[in-house]
Amino acid sequence: MLAYKQQKKLFHSLRCEVALCYIASLILLSLLFSHPLFLLALFMALNMVILSAGIALEWLSYLKFSLLLIFLITLVNSLFVRAGATILFRGPHLPIIGTIRVTLESLCFSAGMGIRLLVILGAFCLFTYAVSPDKVLKILGGRGSKTMLALSLSLRLFPLLVDDFARITEAQRCRGVSFQTRNRRQRFEKYIPILNTLLLSSLERSFQLAESLQSRGFGIAKRSSYREELWRPRDVLVLLSTVPGIALGVALALNGWAGYRYYPSLQPIEGLEMMMSAFLGLFFIFPALLNWGWEKWQFLRLKI
Amino acid sequence: MQDNPLFSANWALTSVVFLCLVIAAFFWSFERRHASTKVITLIATMAALAGVGRVPFAMIPGVQPTTFLVMITGYVFGSRAGFMVGALAALVSNFFLGQGPWTPWQMFTWGMSGFTAALLAGKDKKFKRRSFIILAAFWGYLFGWIMNIWHWVGFIYPLTWETFLATYLASFPFDTLHAVGNATFSLLFGKTFYNILERFRKKCSVTLSDLHSMDRSK
Repeated sequence: MLAYKQQKKLFHSLRCEVALCYIASLILLSLLFSHPLFLLALFMALNMVILSAGIALEWLSYLKFSLLLIFLITLVNSLFVRAGATILFRGPHLPIIGTIRVTLESLCFSAGMGIRLLVILGAFCLFTYAVSPDKVLKILGGRGSKTMLALSLSLRLFPLLVDDFARITEAQRCRGVSFQTRNRRQRFEKYIPILNTLLLSSLERSFQLAESLQSRGFGIAKRSSYREELWRPRDVLVLLSTVPGIALGVALALNGWAGYRYYPSLQPIEGLEMMMSAFLGLFFIFPALLNWGWEKWQFLRLKI
Repeated sequence: MQDNPLFSANWALTSVVFLCLVIAAFFWSFERRHASTKVITLIATMAALAGVGRVPFAMIPGVQPTTFLVMITGYVFGSRAGFMVGALAALVSNFFLGQGPWTPWQMFTWGMSGFTAALLAGKDKKFKRRSFIILAAFWGYLFGWIMNIWHWVGFIYPLTWETFLATYLASFPFDTLHAVGNATFSLLFGKTFYNILERFRKKCSVTLSDLHSMDRSK
């Protein structure tokens, strides 16, 4: 049931820390930069990595969802922001909004923010579908944290509860309860005993789980944990591209390259900015390139 | 404001950092306090249940029993448990439905709904049905209002009252659906779920007397 599915792709086989470092770097840079060129470079790089990770279909569902959000961003920016100088469309006067004025600058700003949203969503898509939650929990819960134990248990119970719900519904059907009725209220009422039973059985199970934990000595002493995961050349290579990438991004932001003036008129784009954005994108496209080589050459696959 | 092109970006980053710190503070507080194994597994179960509640209603924006389940847990088990259930429910369910920039905001918002439900319960643990329904309906709106913040600070510029109101107006229908859903769930399941959870709370707090000391006292 988990969204994550194991695949024979390079990104899936990376150490969890490395994958998280890559994803966190992209999110941080997308929040730091408002310059559309840099955001576009990050977006292109991320797209390549997502495609190389074999999660294009999942990414498509994220893209469909993001369309609604981008529409809202464009709507609010176009209708309510009056800072732009280049008027593209002048509409009627509305009572609260005033005169509708759609400007080129507000549309460009919406496009820029749309790309930022896509970078953030892409990074989270990669996290959901290409990073194993088990590995994440192993890292976080290694020291016996109660929060992480609760999180791990929840993650395990989630599919179990879905099965329980289906099982109880089936039992009710066998007793002659019909869930096909067209009346929504009646249908809803038929689910009430199911939910009550589900709550009761889940809570009973939680107590059994607690007793099982206690009988295994949970909480008596500091928890021991065994985790051995190799640092492979692929992890080092991806880290060697991500760390300089984030360093470059932060250095650019500190030197005033991250911003872009949308209002009152668009700031002209310089050649150096194009070069620097392409350079930044190269650091983050590296896992996709490595995956390409990994799949193409058996020799490289064995070496890294 | 317009002289600083990083203005909106900084707010987006600051808000996320602030949110993560608040969540971390609640988790830290939970770590520090003693919690029995039963309480931990109960929190995990309620978080999973609240997360599962999102799945059948995922297609109807806003209507989901998650807020109600988090609140009723907070009401019975207290503020820490309420926050933990809310935060974990958001995180766990998103491992199945898809993580996104909304995850930390959902963790915070659902966590706070559980926290405030515990404040409503106070020391008198009787079920205040009417107040609970009103609070649940209010959280339907508050949930949307808090969730709107990341959208507004992250993607709208300049940050003015006009753009703020426009963002909030756009989410109003979804928030209303959420509020109506919360009120309905509270009305239909409130008392029953309260009774069940209260029974389990009492089971959690059962203490075993030391038989040897009892013998000596005789």
